[in-house]
Amino acid sequence: MISVNRILKNALKLTVLLSALGFLFVFFVISMVDLSDLYSDDGMRYFFEHGYAETGAKNLVTAILLDYRLFDSLFEAGILLVAVSGVIWISKHDLEEKNVPFMIDKHKTPDLFVTFARLVYPLLLVFGFYIIINGHLSPGGGFQGGALAATAILILYYIDTDKETNVNFIVTSEKLLYLAIIAVTSVSLITRGVLFTNFMPIDASADWKAIYLVILNLLIGLKVALGLWTIFTAFLREGR
Amino acid sequence: MNPILTFIVVLIGFYGLATSKNIIKSVFCVTIIESGIILLFLNLGNFQGGGIPILNGEADAIVDPLPQALMITTIVIGSTVTALSLMLCIKLFHRYGSIEWAQILRREDVE
Repeated sequence: MISVNRILKNALKLTVLLSALGFLFVFFVISMVDLSDLYSDDGMRYFFEHGYAETGAKNLVTAILLDYRLFDSLFEAGILLVAVSGVIWISKHDLEEKNVPFMIDKHKTPDLFVTFARLVYPLLLVFGFYIIINGHLSPGGGFQGGALAATAILILYYIDTDKETNVNFIVTSEKLLYLAIIAVTSVSLITRGVLFTNFMPIDASADWKAIYLVILNLLIGLKVALGLWTIFTAFLREGR
Repeated sequence: MNPILTFIVVLIGFYGLATSKNIIKSVFCVTIIESGIILLFLNLGNFQGGGIPILNGEADAIVDPLPQALMITTIVIGSTVTALSLMLCIKLFHRYGSIEWAQILRREDVE
């Protein structure tokens, strides 16, 4: 008798859930009918015609990230910083320790993996920096290349299991890099009179404007790599 | 791609959030919802025959680069939110000795 009751209860719950999801689906579909009329491609045409001359970036996504909508990207990097601080704060233990010893067990890591990791590690690092530096010309940019460089650093942990990392140094340098990003983007207040844009004069050639893009991509890439590295060390410390 | 398909991805995430009994599964349902939203936004500025938004003189028309730039923000924030919630899962496991919702909601400390 009890089991029949439970089955009925579960069936009722499932019905309520599915009908709520169905209502959401109908709501989504009705709201999407008008969306194609709402969307206008004026912005796309503007970026297509003026993007390269105004920002010096052939990759229009980088042009938007680092010039037109730089304010957004600054807060994106800030959120990464806050999240890294949060992970460090949550994972804090009672005992204070300066260096993080390794959790990865040397005997459980296959030799084949270690050998190939040694082979792949420099290639990944170089590829990450290529993506960061070439971010204004080809697909990529600071965030993507930084994630790749962080992956290369994580491989290093498998190669050398006795290595110790000074987490405080990484966290501090990440914060300093964020300040450097804000400083570089604020230079335009002096040269152009506008905050948070390219610091080259507005009538400079695209090659000169690319200097700013490369500098900012490098700073953002380093910051993202250090942030992801910090998150990884926090998880390593937790698994010990 | 039809936007209705992206809704279905989002609704699968909602269904998983409502029914999963494990915290880590809940976290990954949030990432499923997020990927549905990313697909929806990438779908918005896309049209038949549009080239990649890189000006190398090959394409006459490009897809809209603005949603793609916004979605980089979403991906970065989503990864950090996932990291933060997984760290909270570890802390909950240390405190309550389980990663099942039913066990955690009982609030019995494990020593």
